[in-house]
Amino acid sequence: MDTSSFISLFREERYVSELKGTRKNQILDELLGLLKQNHVVNHPDLLLETLKKRETLGSTGLGKNVAIPHCRTLTVSELIVIVGHSNKGVDWQAMDKKPVTLIFLIIAPPQEKQNIYLPVLGKICEIVRENKIRKMLIRATDFRDFINIIGAAA
Amino acid sequence: MKNTQLEILVHYQDIDLMLREAEEVEKTLGFPIEGHEKLQGAKKELEKHISPKYLHTYQRLRTRYKRPIVPVQNDTCLGCFSKLPTYFKVRAREDQEMYTCENCGRILYWMN
Ligand SMILES: [Zn+2]
Repeated sequence: MDTSSFISLFREERYVSELKGTRKNQILDELLGLLKQNHVVNHPDLLLETLKKRETLGSTGLGKNVAIPHCRTLTVSELIVIVGHSNKGVDWQAMDKKPVTLIFLIIAPPQEKQNIYLPVLGKICEIVRENKIRKMLIRATDFRDFINIIGAAA
Repeated sequence: MKNTQLEILVHYQDIDLMLREAEEVEKTLGFPIEGHEKLQGAKKELEKHISPKYLHTYQRLRTRYKRPIVPVQNDTCLGCFSKLPTYFKVRAREDQEMYTCENCGRILYWMN
């Protein structure tokens, strides 16, 4: 996966600068709401259920205020990345117990032609592990700001 | 999609894949994987809601394929890429039966 195709996975219509929810499940529902409007998901309820099940396997809160909920599901036909900020902070049961303020939601079909799901997941993990970049991403206030930082980091 | 049995089976496969990938890959990415048994339990619970016909077909295919249920796109089975009869889609919608690919035997799932 080259840099430009990685960056193109982030889209303005899949970016929320301030999430309303205060709990993990509300946030997941809110982020999936973006897809419902555009009919990108075949069965949103099923997808939400799958994401909740993924959380029982272990929190997707990586620590340091970032969570990366993710799953493969047959209810979508392409890889989707949604980004949301919560300035209030959400309890994501992360290892370090810190509230989550930046969320990357990644959803992919069970099989994809280019097999980019795991590389994309890995790449985002790698980017947010960089202290300086993570802090900048958390502070981003709009999509243009955000994508510029991603572009520089990728 | 109104076939409830197929819906549950789709969810079942998603969890099946999730369990495998979490152990194989996500651990190395730094995600804590500690609820394996809990999720196995949820999977077992789900089995109770799947009819024996669906479950047996799934489990039989599971020994051969990583993903027994595959999407259909442009009347093509995305498991083996063979062309399916056009009437499959119409029928599957009407009678809500389980349809399998004539070539590879995988369970077919139509995206809207
Ligand atoms: Zn086939």
